[in-house]
Amino acid sequence: MNNRIDTTLKADLKKFGLQSWNDCFHCGNCTALCPLTEDANLFPRNSIRTMQMGLKDKLMSGVDPWLCYYCGECSDTCPRDANPGEVMMTLRRYLTSLYDWTGLSKKFYTSKVWELGAILLLGGMVVLAFALFFPTINPELTADGGVRINSIMPLQWIEWADWTMGIIVAGLLISNLMRMYYKIAFGAGAVRIPLALYFKEAWQLAFHFSTQWKFSKCDGKRYWLWHWLLMSGYTIMFILIMVFLPWFQTEEIFEVWHPQRLLGYYATFGLLFGLTAVIIGRIRKSNAKFKFSHVSDWLFIVMLFLTVLTGILVHFFRIYGMPMATYYLYVAHLAVLVPMIMIEVPFSKWSHLAYRPFAIYFANLRKAAMKYHEKTEISLATT
Amino acid sequence: MKDSRIGVYICWCGTNIAKMVDVEKIAEDIGRLENVVIARNYKYMCSDPGQDLIIKDIKEHELDRVVVAACSPRIHELTFRKALENAGLNQYLFEMANIREHVSWVHTDREEATKKAADLVRAALKRVSYHEPLDKLSVAINPATLIVGGGVAGMSAAFRLAEAGKKVYLVEKEADLGGQAARLDLSFPYLNTVSSFLQPLIRKVKEHKNIKVFTGQSISEITGYVGNFKTTTGINGKLEDLEFGHIIVATGLSNYDPSPFKNYGYGRLPDVITSIEFEKMLRSGNIKCSDGKPPRHIAIIHCVGSRNENIHEYCSRTCCATALKYANQLRATFPGAGIYDLYADMRAFSKACEELYTKTSTKDVMFLMFDPERSLPEVKQAGWKDECNMLIDMHEILSGENVEVPADMVILMTAVEAQKDAKDIAHAAGISMCGNHFYIEKHPKLDPVATTTDGVFIVGTCQGPKDIPESITQAWAAAARVLAGISRGTVTVEVTTAVVNEEICCGCQTCISVCPYTAISFNEEKNVSEVNEVLCKGCGTCGSTCPTGAIRSRHFTDMQILSQIEGMLNEGKVKETHKILEEA
Amino acid sequence: MANFEPKIVAFLCNWCSYTGADLAGTSRMKYAHNIRIIRVMCSGRVDPTFVLKSLREGADGVLICGCHPGDCHYHEGNYKCLRRYEFIKQYLTEMGIDKKRIRLDWISASEGKQFAELADAMTEQVAELGPCRVRSIMENVT
Repeated sequence: MNNRIDTTLKADLKKFGLQSWNDCFHCGNCTALCPLTEDANLFPRNSIRTMQMGLKDKLMSGVDPWLCYYCGECSDTCPRDANPGEVMMTLRRYLTSLYDWTGLSKKFYTSKVWELGAILLLGGMVVLAFALFFPTINPELTADGGVRINSIMPLQWIEWADWTMGIIVAGLLISNLMRMYYKIAFGAGAVRIPLALYFKEAWQLAFHFSTQWKFSKCDGKRYWLWHWLLMSGYTIMFILIMVFLPWFQTEEIFEVWHPQRLLGYYATFGLLFGLTAVIIGRIRKSNAKFKFSHVSDWLFIVMLFLTVLTGILVHFFRIYGMPMATYYLYVAHLAVLVPMIMIEVPFSKWSHLAYRPFAIYFANLRKAAMKYHEKTEISLATT
Repeated sequence: MKDSRIGVYICWCGTNIAKMVDVEKIAEDIGRLENVVIARNYKYMCSDPGQDLIIKDIKEHELDRVVVAACSPRIHELTFRKALENAGLNQYLFEMANIREHVSWVHTDREEATKKAADLVRAALKRVSYHEPLDKLSVAINPATLIVGGGVAGMSAAFRLAEAGKKVYLVEKEADLGGQAARLDLSFPYLNTVSSFLQPLIRKVKEHKNIKVFTGQSISEITGYVGNFKTTTGINGKLEDLEFGHIIVATGLSNYDPSPFKNYGYGRLPDVITSIEFEKMLRSGNIKCSDGKPPRHIAIIHCVGSRNENIHEYCSRTCCATALKYANQLRATFPGAGIYDLYADMRAFSKACEELYTKTSTKDVMFLMFDPERSLPEVKQAGWKDECNMLIDMHEILSGENVEVPADMVILMTAVEAQKDAKDIAHAAGISMCGNHFYIEKHPKLDPVATTTDGVFIVGTCQGPKDIPESITQAWAAAARVLAGISRGTVTVEVTTAVVNEEICCGCQTCISVCPYTAISFNEEKNVSEVNEVLCKGCGTCGSTCPTGAIRSRHFTDMQILSQIEGMLNEGKVKETHKILEEA
Repeated sequence: MANFEPKIVAFLCNWCSYTGADLAGTSRMKYAHNIRIIRVMCSGRVDPTFVLKSLREGADGVLICGCHPGDCHYHEGNYKCLRRYEFIKQYLTEMGIDKKRIRLDWISASEGKQFAELADAMTEQVAELGPCRVRSIMENVT
């Protein structure tokens, strides 16, 4: 592992949101009161030190930045106002850009032009595609008075388009995830992990992925709840769209208490509530975690918000029989959704949906492997 | 035992003594003994009422000897002696028994402690009857002063004394005045140029009519005693005798040579330099590597030779702030270079030094910490592919990682150490050195610039590592002490010295051979030894050597000590009639 | 012997060992009560007759403490004491007195702990030898 001091790293990290790098003088208060840190993984101080010294290899072979859920208590306590919480956030952005083999992630994080440009390009392509190939909607209403939404484009084609996009995005994300795994499993301080443990610890992966339980340990349950509502909201939407599209994007108008509508409303509520709370928080800078907002932070929130907003409008326009409005909002919805998915999931902030639970998984694997090796050594010694 | 009228006072010292020693019983028992006119016990003998008690008793009961059993004589012997003087009794007719530090504070059995205390009081009792009245000697003080060392401290003291109208002889072993300060470029924490205050000081000293400067000379021997010292110094064979009343030793320090320290590669790698060598570069305004190019990476390593149990255990005090100074100067000269400060601790404690650290930490200086006790950094040659000349391997303890630091230039903050000739000066001036060969002050708090040798003061870094303001402060303090001595005009000399009984002296001269101060001379006419009272320091070695007992150590005579032994091992004779005891 | 408490006379030099003993006191260190201290300015002042007088008056042991070699306040007094000590040991042995009853040690002004330990060690050393019978013999003779 390259362990040479590299003072240029911190200059690079400025673009990723690093505020100041030399304020931290390593008193360790942040690590002392972090509710999530533990002996096997002590943070945030050690991560800050690694960053200060520019030890990229050590950074990439570690998972500590992902174990942090940014409760912000460390930043509140820091006697030097060194914002350790924000440093951890910066490191997460940086690691995201490192795991990505295409180089696009780095571009999106460090250049507003590139990120906005990519969004506008993809959005523009969606609009163009519709303008060229699907320019019309059947203005006749259904028997219930709803809009014939599936007359814009054959549902099957939308499904294929969705799945194609899903495969591309998943493929990119998984390939980056493999890079992350490779760096951790074979980087510095790596421990040989017996195959059985991968299966044993898999339930932890599923558990943390779905509950974000550790987040609730930070600073009370409030932010965990906001995030969980948001997460559960989009997860439901995701499943509805990817798996049950014909049932979800139907021209039928069900009763309000029908599961299709209830699920949709819950998802929308969850998303709206979480997003609104976060947006207000970031505007008012009400908590240490909201004090600093990188461009990538805002873009993600804004795009998701617009997606939800346009989705709500599509729904209402469809039910209340306004075909043209439905068409335009539907195109707008997709013009926001496609760039958001294609950029955020593999290259930007949304990648944390994979990196974080897997980081916890790898950390647990490592702990279990070390315990296993200890036990094996003891049993070997006693034979 | 001689007849005396003795007053005995047993102190409670609050509960310090009384808790473990039955002071009342001792006073009662002692009061029954021969020659004891009065025996009291009192809570605080050293207090004003306590002393008044003694004074009153001396006058009322016509006491001619006094014994106080209390704390250590090293604390209050002078206090009680003064009380006797106030009562009109010679202050040497007094003896103290130490029943606090040597009894109540160190024993746990009250009965045994009381017995021991009683033994010590009886010993003092027997001894004191053999005390003789002694008078102090006054000698005149020569108003000139010798200052050894022409650095910042020496020059500051010289100037102060000269301005007060007193003559000063300033002897400096180098060719020029200025000492260590003359080798510096800027000073911390304000980064002013040293020469801006040093050059005017040198000029003032050289031009002052009261200061005679001897450069390129050292002092080999000083004879005499406070108020009357003599030495000989000379230039080019021309010798000059100097006479002076006080000595200020300001010989400064030198620097550790890190060549034997294999880790750092000093002497082996051309771009590893010491802090003094770096100062030279700074003064010349030209910082470059041995290949003539400017350095892209500069590393500063703290504690080279300091805080090392194999070399110097002490901290050299000024290097941390100096390293910060270098970091600032390097950043100003090379805005894009990598600057690495490898420290064991950051000891930036003087005024404005912590602020200097904070300022430096905003200048993109990488601070890396090592543990000086576990593993020191190692400097090695870099490979041809590397972007630097050298690499430093270190175990960085804030991260717990073994890292490599790139460096084109390495500055070693070398330890300060005592001068190589510190021992010679110590012998010449009659002062002692500590284990590290710095000079020892009389007391770090009660008398920080004086030494146990009257009239000799130590100032500046020869006493221990310190910065320029501290050296100057000490110099002015010593100058003030000297001026106070000169203004008194005379100095009193202790007379617990040796004296020869010429009738018994057989002229064997054995005493002369053992005297470390050559205070005894031989009178050829009378064929007897003679003691110079002022040179004699009263050690008593001659007294125990004299085969005839002709030479007596006053206040520590054979009779006094032998009676002390008798007193502590025997019960003591009770007198026929009791005097009524009083308790205060 | 089980309950024998020896009496030990100790000569301590003012500048180092007496100060060291004071330090033991201020530090509240505890040691055996058998030591009785006599202050001299320098260990060089200690005359062999003092040692003999101590034993004659009933001391069971004599302890002499001076500054460490090289540190004597009067430069060489402790060396003179060392020379005499060797002589005294020989003399005592010839007189039939165990030379372990006398001991010379160096205590500096900062060695309070060492003084306390020395006091205990000396007490134990002399206690093992039993009472010194010089006084009882002399008193029967005279």
